[in-house]
Amino acid sequence: MIEIKDLKKVYNNILVVNIPHLEIRKGESIGLVGNNGAGKTTLFRMMLDLIRPETGEVLSNGENVAGHENWKNYTASYLDEGFLIDYLTPEEYFYFIGGLYQQSRAQVDEFLAGLSDFFNGEILKRGKYIRDLSKGNQTKVGVASCLLQHPELLMLDEPFANIDPTTQFRLKNMLKEINKEQGVTTLVSSHDLNHVTDVCERILLMEKGRIIKDMATNSSTLSELEEYFAIGHKMEAVDSVKINVDEEENH
Amino acid sequence: MTSTFIKHELKAFWRARNTGKSIAVHIVMGLMILYLLACALGIGFFMDRFLKQAFPKDDLVFSFCGIILIYYLFELLSRMQLQELPTLRVQPYLQLAVTRNSLVRYLAFTAMLSFFNLWPLILFIPFILKVVAVKMGGVAALVFILSVIGFSIFNNYLALYIKRKASLNGWVFLVSSLCLILIGMGDFKWHLYSIRNFSYLFFGHLATQPLLVLVPILLAIAMYYTNFLFLKQNLYLEELTKHKTLRKSTTEFPLLDRFGNIGDLVANEIKLIIRNKRPSSALKVSLFFLFYGLIFYNNPKIGEYMKLLVGMFMTGIFIISYGQYMYGWQANHFDGIMVSKVSFTDFLKAKYLLFTLVSTAAFLLTLPYVYFGWRTVMIHFIMYLWNLGVNTTIVLFFANRNSKRIDLSKGAAFNWEGVGVTQLLLSIPLMLAPYIIYIPLKLLAGNNNLPLVVIALLGMIGIFTRGYWIKLLTADFYNRKFKIAEGFRDK
Repeated sequence: MIEIKDLKKVYNNILVVNIPHLEIRKGESIGLVGNNGAGKTTLFRMMLDLIRPETGEVLSNGENVAGHENWKNYTASYLDEGFLIDYLTPEEYFYFIGGLYQQSRAQVDEFLAGLSDFFNGEILKRGKYIRDLSKGNQTKVGVASCLLQHPELLMLDEPFANIDPTTQFRLKNMLKEINKEQGVTTLVSSHDLNHVTDVCERILLMEKGRIIKDMATNSSTLSELEEYFAIGHKMEAVDSVKINVDEEENH
Repeated sequence: MTSTFIKHELKAFWRARNTGKSIAVHIVMGLMILYLLACALGIGFFMDRFLKQAFPKDDLVFSFCGIILIYYLFELLSRMQLQELPTLRVQPYLQLAVTRNSLVRYLAFTAMLSFFNLWPLILFIPFILKVVAVKMGGVAALVFILSVIGFSIFNNYLALYIKRKASLNGWVFLVSSLCLILIGMGDFKWHLYSIRNFSYLFFGHLATQPLLVLVPILLAIAMYYTNFLFLKQNLYLEELTKHKTLRKSTTEFPLLDRFGNIGDLVANEIKLIIRNKRPSSALKVSLFFLFYGLIFYNNPKIGEYMKLLVGMFMTGIFIISYGQYMYGWQANHFDGIMVSKVSFTDFLKAKYLLFTLVSTAAFLLTLPYVYFGWRTVMIHFIMYLWNLGVNTTIVLFFANRNSKRIDLSKGAAFNWEGVGVTQLLLSIPLMLAPYIIYIPLKLLAGNNNLPLVVIALLGMIGIFTRGYWIKLLTADFYNRKFKIAEGFRDK
């Protein structure tokens, strides 16, 4: 479904993303992990044609995302609040997104009714603009608008970061369900190793712009990852290497 | 502590992301302020002459004493409109070991650093030194100066107090503005009383009773203290960032549904304009511009060349004032638009539709100008066509070259955010293009009809060839997309 070839991005003479080759097959569920500044968000942005790579290309269904717009028809993504139109009420925003996919208001309402557990009564009919919602509730709006698009490819950047434990639990189930039952390819980044190893079948570990590990999830994955991050942590503390915090990273 | 706050404020100013880029803008603004101050100084120095002309019968000092309070009345009104609340971003300090008093003192004190406080000094002190000191002696001059300072400080804190109250409850602002206007009308329109006499009552006796100077000083201190207490009591997060707790409702524009996706985009943009402070003031300014014609058309000698410009502004000011910052208004969710299923062609079509709707409304509202003859309305219509056919495309061409984000929540007065070279360049073709056509053709044909016909035709051609321009603009956009999106992410 996605093929990345020789993708590089440079900020201030520092290579922040450097991926010689990566292939994501249809129906896979992928978890992207890595410390701050590893290049996760930058990679996402390049996959969504939001920033121009120095070299290389991202192919979605065999077509370069840069210069084409077909991928927009089957890709839904939520990276940060910048993806939401914050002066609309959540309902208005959902109707707008639904309208883009030729869904009537009744259809949108019906779909949203199915998400009432996920919303937990905090989103719809609250009489607030999106900008007045808390960050966690904004995330819920973003994720719900992605699901509303019935995508074939779903990309979420740190979806678990600001939401409460109950919603995290529900979100995990939803992600598993659309992957298993509807065959949606999911790509989720997270700092929470428990969550990604729970949801995703394949884990990509990024460090300083490279994918240094690409593994299928099994019972030992979590401990393997924990080991990596624990050591990484120690090394940083010892020789206090200057870490390039990615300026695009926006948490 | 205060010095630390000042240091932080300076850092916040210099390190703001757009400071470096807009330094030129600051210089231009600084020069403008200097120019205004110089003008005020000029008026101050020659005030005796002006007063002599205005009130030839009265004694100089008498007429001077009469105008001071009137000045302060108008000053209060303009302060309420224009003066900005000093804002130290207090939030990061509230939980630290910083006393509330020192925070509030800083906030209240920096409120003094406003250009508004300079005007009365520059305006009145030259006269006081030139005339009052000579006629009435040093003590009188001193108490005059002290009173002027006292009243400015009083005015300063009164305006801020009203503004602060108004930020909690919008009605306060309306009611107090209305009161001030009524006070003014009571004198100048209905002649119920005379503010000049009130003013003289105080300032006239000031020279003989120097102790009266205590009145403005005490007023100033009392107002400062009221402000201080009010701030101190309201230094809570939810009150500082108080939004009106009105229930926000979902709005629909059934008319726009007919246009499908493009209609949805326009509906969103209309909501953007209505629900955010800065774009909505751009819209209000366009409404004021509908009266632009009244300024000129009353003069029977006005040529048709002027009507071109007036017609263009009245039917198209929104295209110019709102369009010049495009797509910066949507900077906040530009990434979202880029990854959504909205094609850029539709995005552009929505802009055209929005401009068409607003300009059409503006044209309809200018129809009463038929009072000045049908030909005036015809010229407005021609410029309306020109706006839709030519100016919209020019504006969108420049929009592709603008990558400055705009914070929607800030007010428009003295707001230079998002202003750059693009806006300056944009004004040149907008202002000159109609004349480049008009002047040579007029010389050629000897009358006004030929140039008007040509302008109308060009406007119509522009409207009918929109598809072609949209294609060009789309291709142009894809060359610049990354730069624009990156600029918009740059907070």
